[in-house]
Amino acid sequence: MSDVAKDKAARLLKKRGSVSSLSSHEVKAKETIGKTKDSMSTVSYIDEPGQQDDNPRPAVQMENTYQLGPAKRFPVATVNNILKDVLTSYLQEEKYEAELCRQMTKTICEVIKARVKDLMIPRYKIIVLINIGQLNEQNMRIGSRCLWDPTNDTFSSYTFKNTSLFAVANVYAAYFE
Amino acid sequence: MHSRVNQWTSNVVEQCLSQLAKLGKPFKYIVTCVIMQKNGAGLQTASSCFWDNSTDGSCTVRWENKSMYCIVSVFGLAL
Repeated sequence: MSDVAKDKAARLLKKRGSVSSLSSHEVKAKETIGKTKDSMSTVSYIDEPGQQDDNPRPAVQMENTYQLGPAKRFPVATVNNILKDVLTSYLQEEKYEAELCRQMTKTICEVIKARVKDLMIPRYKIIVLINIGQLNEQNMRIGSRCLWDPTNDTFSSYTFKNTSLFAVANVYAAYFE
Repeated sequence: MHSRVNQWTSNVVEQCLSQLAKLGKPFKYIVTCVIMQKNGAGLQTASSCFWDNSTDGSCTVRWENKSMYCIVSVFGLAL
């Protein structure tokens, strides 16, 4: 049953990818709901995949740098500390409330991104992912897998817990060749 | 039940990644999966990305059945 839903989602994704390749550089958020038996799946498309093969990128002519690897590596330990600082300072005394945590998640996300950008690591793309949830005797599993170059790309993660909520922060850094 | 969740998350993420890799596009992928038991608890997720808007993107799928929620996010970075 879950496989059917996943296949459907995958097919929807592929279909949407090919339809929207005609229009370029638009930000669309689309949602469709597909119902199969007693499982429900919603697909939301935040941005379109890049068009590598067809249209050439706009005018910027890039010269060869003859660089094989990054000049400055991503400092995992520093970022770990940043995550610890930000999460503890924002969430130490907070209790889980839907509206408050909604705003908090977005704010913390932006704050972490700004602080990582301040480190000024050139040619790295940053992805910050925050999950804040209520502690309610339930179990939860968060996993992630990445397809990248392990010599240059890395990630950093921190989990914060207090009596009523938990927060997981992940920062992924990919080297832009 | 709790022991199988580990396996499920790994399977979901690995299969997503292998199918994405089969597409053969020049992209780096980051796939994240959250599986949560339905117990009345709330969950908020946010993500903020520093990348090139014209070439990179992300996609999120939310799925549920009678006993759990599953959220899968894929981020694609162009090479």
